[in-house]
Amino acid sequence: MTTLLTPAAAPGAATKTSRPPARRTTRDLSLVVIVTVVSLILAAIVGLPLLRIFSVAFAPEGWEVVSSMLTSPVNRRILWNTVQLGVLVAVIGTAVGFVLAYAQVRLKFRGKRILHLIALIPIVSPPFAIATATISLFGRNGLITNGLLGIQSDIYGLNGLTMVLVISFFPVAYMNLKGMLESLDPSLDEASANLGASKLRTFLTVTVPMLIPGIAGSVLLLFVESISDLGNPLVLGGDYTVLASRAYIAITGEYSVASGAAYSVVLLVPALSVFLIQRYWVGRKNVVTVTGKPTGTTQLITSPVLRIPALAVTFLTCGLVVLLYLTVLGGGFVKILGVNNEFTWSHFQFVLSGIGSDAMFTTTTLALIATPIAGLLGMLIAWLVVRKLKRTAGLMDFVGMLGLAVPGTVIGIGYAIAFNTPTVIAGRQWFPAVAGGSAMFGGAVAIIMVFVARSLPSGQRSGISALGQISPAIDEASTSLGASAATTFRRVTLPLIRPALLAGLTYAFARSMTTLSPIIFITTPQTKIMTSQILAEVDAGRFGNAFAYCSILILIVLGVIGLLNLALLHPSFRGVGRR
Amino acid sequence: MRRTQMLPLAAASLLAAAALGGCAVDQNTGASSTGSGAASGSVVIACTPQEEQCQAMAAAFTKATGIKATYVRLSSGEAVARLGSAKSKPEFDVMYGGPSDGHVAASKGDLIEKYVSPNAAKIPDKYKAADGTWTGTYVGALGFCSNTEVLAKLGVAAPTSWEALLDPKLAKNVAIAHPSTSGTSYTAVWTQMVLNSMDETKTFDYLKKLHSNVLQYAKTGAAPGQMAGRGEVAVGVVFSHDCVKYQKEGFTMLKTTFPSEGTGYEVGAVSLVKGGPNPANGKKFIDWTLTADHQNIGPTVGSFQIPTNPDAKITDEMVKLDQVKLVAYDSIAAGEKKKALTARFDAEVAPAPK
Repeated sequence: MTTLLTPAAAPGAATKTSRPPARRTTRDLSLVVIVTVVSLILAAIVGLPLLRIFSVAFAPEGWEVVSSMLTSPVNRRILWNTVQLGVLVAVIGTAVGFVLAYAQVRLKFRGKRILHLIALIPIVSPPFAIATATISLFGRNGLITNGLLGIQSDIYGLNGLTMVLVISFFPVAYMNLKGMLESLDPSLDEASANLGASKLRTFLTVTVPMLIPGIAGSVLLLFVESISDLGNPLVLGGDYTVLASRAYIAITGEYSVASGAAYSVVLLVPALSVFLIQRYWVGRKNVVTVTGKPTGTTQLITSPVLRIPALAVTFLTCGLVVLLYLTVLGGGFVKILGVNNEFTWSHFQFVLSGIGSDAMFTTTTLALIATPIAGLLGMLIAWLVVRKLKRTAGLMDFVGMLGLAVPGTVIGIGYAIAFNTPTVIAGRQWFPAVAGGSAMFGGAVAIIMVFVARSLPSGQRSGISALGQISPAIDEASTSLGASAATTFRRVTLPLIRPALLAGLTYAFARSMTTLSPIIFITTPQTKIMTSQILAEVDAGRFGNAFAYCSILILIVLGVIGLLNLALLHPSFRGVGRR
Repeated sequence: MRRTQMLPLAAASLLAAAALGGCAVDQNTGASSTGSGAASGSVVIACTPQEEQCQAMAAAFTKATGIKATYVRLSSGEAVARLGSAKSKPEFDVMYGGPSDGHVAASKGDLIEKYVSPNAAKIPDKYKAADGTWTGTYVGALGFCSNTEVLAKLGVAAPTSWEALLDPKLAKNVAIAHPSTSGTSYTAVWTQMVLNSMDETKTFDYLKKLHSNVLQYAKTGAAPGQMAGRGEVAVGVVFSHDCVKYQKEGFTMLKTTFPSEGTGYEVGAVSLVKGGPNPANGKKFIDWTLTADHQNIGPTVGSFQIPTNPDAKITDEMVKLDQVKLVAYDSIAAGEKKKALTARFDAEVAPAPK
C-alpha cells in the first residue's frame, strides 16, 4: 500500500476527520456528470421498481398489514424475531470476522494463507446449500449430532438460523476489516507500546477505536443482509417466522402482493434505524490513518492473551466452514447424503449435460457483466458520499443500500411491475421493456440490473469505510494540482481503496451468481439461471443434483475470484497506484 | 496530459447519459418494443410442476403440434404474483399446474380468462371449474408419508387415521406445512373442517392437539416429505404423490398411508392467461393437456399424480382413488374461508407452547 505514517509523526497523527469544506465545484463538469449518471442508474435499478411496489403496499390491503404491525401480537412477534435475528447475526458475525481479520494481519501462525482462502469461501453460499448441509450434519438425524454424538438436537429456529447466517455472512466483515487493519498505521501501536501500554491495552484502546467505522459498517451490512435473507429462514426457520419469510408467504401462499409489499416496507424500519445510527453516531468517530506520509511496518503480536482466543476462534470457524462445504461437495457424489451414502457420478452428469450447462453459461455471463458495473458503481457512490456530496450524501448512501435491504421477492415483483412494459414517465418513453420473455435479449437486461442492485451495497459499504480512513488532504492535493473530480477519483482515490474495490467486485460476482428470490419473477424461457435450477432440484427432492449444482457454482465463483485477485493485485496494476 | 486522462471517463459518462436520454423518445413513436413474442407458432407456459415434467411436456407438445413451447418454472403462488405484476403486458399464454386455488386467485385478480376446451367434456365435473375458468389435469390425495426406520425406533405403526397422528409417542415427530404458506397444508385444515361437519371449534381442538406432535410447520407443502425422508421426523403430512416421488428418488424407507376417516385432495389445473401473446396456441395447449397423451407423461418423469382423463393410464405407483376415502371437497368454500382460518391458526395454534 501507498500510505501510512512515519513513526515521528505518530503521536498526534490520528487526527479526527475534519470534513473538508466540501468542494461543490459546480464548475467541475465531470463531477456534475458523475453525480447525474450515478443518480440516474440508482433511480433505474432501485428507485423505480421500489416506488412501484411500495405504491402497492399502501393500497388498503397492504395498509391493513402495516397498521396491524404493532397491534397484532402475531405481527409484533414477527417484527421482534426479525430484529433479534438481525442483531445477533450482525454482532456475532462482525465479531467473528474481526477476530479472523485480526489474526490474519497481526498474528503469526502456520497455514495463514490457506485459512484466508477458507474464510472467503462462504461468500459463495448458494441458496439452500449451507442450510441443507447443516441439517445433514447437525439435524435431528445429523451425521454429527446423531451419528457421532448420539443426541437429538433441535436446530430449527433461532439457534440454527443464527449459526447458518453467521457462517454465510462473516466473510463480508472479514474482508472489510482485514483491508482496514492492513492500512492501519503500526506506528500508533508502537507509540502505545513505548508509552508502556500492554498489548491487550493497545488492542482495546488503540486498534479497536480506529476500526470503529469498519466495524459499524460491517454490523450494518450484516444486519441488513440477515434480516432480508429468505432462503435460510425457509429451510431452517421452523416456527421462527421473520418479516422476509412472512412477506414471501403473503405473496406465494396468500396470493397477496399488497401485504407482501407491506411487510417489506415494515422491514425497512429496522434497516433504516440501524443505517441512521451508523451514519450519525459512528460517522463522527472516523479516524484518519492514511495520510500519504511514509510509514513503518506492522509488528506481529505474540502476546498469548490475544493469540490463544483469536486463534481458537479462527480455527473453529474455518473448521466449521470446511466441514459444511465438504458436506456440500460430498453430497454431490453420493446417492442421498446421510440416507444412502453410495458413491455415484450421476448427479454431476445430470448437471453438466443439458439444461444444467446452459444455465451455468447464461448465469456466469450475466454475472460477469454485472460485476464490474456493481463494483465501480459502489466505489463511485462511496466516494461521492464521503467526499463530494453534502446534504444529499445520506440519501444517496441509503438508496444504494436499498437493493439489499428489501427482500429479493419484493424487488423481483417490483421489477416485473416496472419493467415488463416500456418505462413511461410524463408521456415520454424513457426506455423499452427490459424484463420478461418478449423484452430485448430475452429479459437479460433486467436480470443484470437486479444483479447490480443486489450486489452493489457491499462494495459501497467497504468503500465508505475505506475512504473514511484516508485523509481528504490527498484528494485535495490532487484537486489543487489541477486534476478534475473524475481524474482524482480514477488516479488517486481508486488505487487507494483497491482492497475495498476488490472486496466489492468479489462480492458482486458471488452475490450475482447466488441471487435467487428476485430472479424467480424475471427469469424467462431464454434465460435459465442456476439458482432457480437448484431450487427446482431441492423441490423435487433430488438433493444430490442440488449439491452438485452448488459445488459447480462454488467452483466457478472461486475461480473468478482467484482471477480477480491476481488481476487486481498484480504488480502492473499496483504500479498505477504508485506512480 | 491530465486533461486527456480525464477525457475517457467523462466521455463514457456522457455517452451513458446520452444513451439514457436518447431512449426518451415520444411514446407514440417509440412503439419498437411491442409483441416480439407474438410470432405465430409458439406458446409460453408458466409451469408449476417440477422441472423434468415441464421439460418433457413442452417437448411432447412441440412434437405433437409443431408449436414451439417454452416455459418458466415457478411455484403456483409465484406464478400468480408474476402474472399480476405483468398484467398490462402478459408474457405467458397458459398457467399450468398447481392447486386450483391458485387459478381461483388468478381468476379473482382478472388474470385468466374463461376457456372451455372441447376436450373438457371427458373430465369429471368435480375436477373442473363450473364457470369454465380452469380445468383439472391431475388429482392428488393427501396422505401420510412415514419413515419406517424412525417409526420402528419409536415403536409406532404407520398412522392410518387422523386420530393416530395424535399418538403421544409421535411427540415432535410429525411435520406439516403452515396452512397460510402451503395449499397442501390448508387442504389438511379444510379436511378437518369437513370431517368435523364445518365446526370450527372442533377443528381447532384437533389442530391444537396435533400441534404438540408437530416439530415444525414447514414453509412448502412437500417439505414434510423430505423431512421424513431424512429422518428428521417420523411422519409428514403431504400429497401422496410427493411421498412416492421421494421414494423413487432414493428415500426407500418411506411409506405412504391414508387416513381412514377420509382425506382431502387437490386438483392440478390449467388455465388461459388473459391477453397472452399467443391466445390461439394457448387454447391448443390446453386442449392437448386434457388428452390421455399428455396425461401419460407424468409417470415417465416421476410424477405420480392421478390423471383426470379417464382414458389415461393409472400406474401401480398412483393412489387408487377407489381404495381411498375422499372427503367432499368444495374448493370454492375452502377458498372463501381461507383467510379467516389461517389467521385463527396463526393466532391460536402456531404460537401455543408444545
